[in-house]
Amino acid sequence: MQIEAREYEYANDYKVLIESYSGKPEHLLAIMQDVQRHYNYLPRLAISMISQHVGIPVSRVYAMASFYKAFSLVPKGKFIFRVCDGTACHIKNSATLLDQLQQHLGIEVDETTADGMFSIETVNCLGACALAPVMVVNGKVYGKVSPGDVERIINEYGGQSYASQHKC
Amino acid sequence: MKIMLNGQEREAREGETILEMCRREGVPIPTFCYHQAFGGQGACRMCMVELREEGQEQMRLVAACTYPIKSSVEIITESERIQRLRRTIVMLLARRAPDNPLMEALARTYSSPRLTAIEVEPPNCILCGLCIHACEEMGRTAIWSMFRGIDKRIGTPYDEASEDCIGCAACARICPTQAINLEEEGSTRRIWNKTFDLVACQRCGKHYATREELEYLWERSEYGQEQLCESCRKKTLAINMKSFQQ
Repeated sequence: MQIEAREYEYANDYKVLIESYSGKPEHLLAIMQDVQRHYNYLPRLAISMISQHVGIPVSRVYAMASFYKAFSLVPKGKFIFRVCDGTACHIKNSATLLDQLQQHLGIEVDETTADGMFSIETVNCLGACALAPVMVVNGKVYGKVSPGDVERIINEYGGQSYASQHKC
Repeated sequence: MKIMLNGQEREAREGETILEMCRREGVPIPTFCYHQAFGGQGACRMCMVELREEGQEQMRLVAACTYPIKSSVEIITESERIQRLRRTIVMLLARRAPDNPLMEALARTYSSPRLTAIEVEPPNCILCGLCIHACEEMGRTAIWSMFRGIDKRIGTPYDEASEDCIGCAACARICPTQAINLEEEGSTRRIWNKTFDLVACQRCGKHYATREELEYLWERSEYGQEQLCESCRKKTLAINMKSFQQ
């Protein structure tokens, strides 16, 4: 497993976080969730360290990381725009919201801006169909979003420069 | 204990699986994911048989590889219902391994309709999981099933060369559809995105095992550090035994 040099800068931080749990195999998921929460993804170095700490082979830790959608194997942005594309939101034109986000931020779904600020994701249902179409940014819920609202929401998170850079 | 197998009375050992009993009795049951060394996984469902436990009216379907016989049961290994089930399994799995001889033969046996092929990685993999077991039994666990649903596949983390892989190729040898890419050229072997040097047999000169595999085995056994391929090792053993007898 090739580990990127910059991850070693955080090695100590990962270590502290991982070793705050005892090394029992049943803590694997909890540790992974904690690392994901802190760094918005599971760095390779962290996966390797978790594997050693709980005594479970790297392949199985990686398998688990790839199995759950809650984990990301690539770095995610500081702000993650999650657009609901469940049935209700889909009918309420969530696709237009996605288009708008993609245009403004200049990235596709599941991608992250080069400076690591923004990511776009879709989710299958947020369970808030009455508010369709729904969008969530780092836990903050935006309901009944109209295409006109998108730019305003992006600006809340400092995405103005992106909007001007990528406007056609 | 006495059980009924396809209408005939047979003797079964308590706790053994239906599959083990049938293999012993010479009754054929097709399997993909079963191997004697690991027992049943209950993953492929090819070994489904009909079973009636005491006091039950209807026959129900169970996986022969994971059902332990604990009472006087009645088992049927061939029926229209079972044929239908196997036909469907082969039909669906053949989409993953369309040109594989094993799947072609089974498709003929069960008259499975041929569906359009789907691309899978590695090609021809039917996800039986035997390679994972083989690797785990070797004590390496370099490969595991990654992702989920239609994206599920066997691989190494990040699809890169794994530090845990010793190139023993146990995975490739056990694969029922030869899906694992094992390339050997002269004294090198390539498997799971990693290249290994092969060690030559001291007697016949055949390149037979990776350096990593041999060192791993030497560390864990009291077996001498001689470098002999399988057939030369047998020959040496035979010679030693002969001189021992004299």
